[in-house]
Amino acid sequence: MITKMLKALSVLLLFLGFIGLFYWALSHDSTELPSQLIDGPVPEFSVNDLMQPESMLTPEIFQGKISLLNVWASWCAACYTEHPYWEEYAKLDDLQIIGLNYNDKKEKALNFLETQGNPYEKILFDVKGRVGIEFGVYGAPETFLIDPKGKVRYRHVGIVSPEVFQDKLMPLIEKIKLGF
Amino acid sequence: MKKYVTLFLIFLSFYTFASVDVYEFETPEQEAQFRHLIDVLRCPTCQNQNLSGSNSLVSEDLKQIVYEKVKAGESDQEIVQFMKKRYGEFILFEPEVSKDNLILWTAPFLFLFIALTSFFIWYRKNKGELNE
Repeated sequence: MITKMLKALSVLLLFLGFIGLFYWALSHDSTELPSQLIDGPVPEFSVNDLMQPESMLTPEIFQGKISLLNVWASWCAACYTEHPYWEEYAKLDDLQIIGLNYNDKKEKALNFLETQGNPYEKILFDVKGRVGIEFGVYGAPETFLIDPKGKVRYRHVGIVSPEVFQDKLMPLIEKIKLGF
Repeated sequence: MKKYVTLFLIFLSFYTFASVDVYEFETPEQEAQFRHLIDVLRCPTCQNQNLSGSNSLVSEDLKQIVYEKVKAGESDQEIVQFMKKRYGEFILFEPEVSKDNLILWTAPFLFLFIALTSFFIWYRKNKGELNE
């Protein structure tokens, strides 16, 4: 009698174990890759500003400011959806919005900004996509949160919707403001 | 009919040539190194393809970087290290054994061991009954 119950119980436990495993495996997005840069310094780069071709941009631009680096391109469909949100985030105080125009053509990129608006304080013009690779970018849009010491704190792949901004970025921004 | 087959074969051969001759190398060793690397490196966007099988934007850029590095005389290890630093362990099509994924490499053997052991225990216990 007891052995029978034990047997039934072990089958039940095994079953629940599998359910748990499947639940975890299916609810876990395996296409999202962890960034190698988290808590490390911003990679080296030196590129022109899309809007001011005569000025060179280096990791210096992140010093002393909390920055969001948004990777975008005119060929990226989701970037058109995401763009109006950036117009909103750009209005926030104590936050520097930097663009990284990734693997794009200059005229197309400028046209994007003309028709969609320009929320960026500075835009890295990464015409060859090499800066993107330094950041481990594998698609656009992607967004990096960078602290005033130039350390990468978070990477979000995909659209930064108001929910993502509130739930993922805001807590970290508050933490950085407190000096952590 | 023969004409169509010939035409088909011609198109087929064009395709093969086109996909091989994009990158030019000074030595066959360099070309072999390049082919090897783009086979073992994975496309970060497509995930189930290696670089050689993918023509996504990122893959094309990564292939170009591999090409430049091979021509500059860098070793396999240096190039793989460069990729791993930016894209993580994931960039390798076949992951290396490490403490994080040790379970994946050992689990099949572990399960086999458990299954065989329990089978033998069961077998010994029931040997008498089976013989009857």
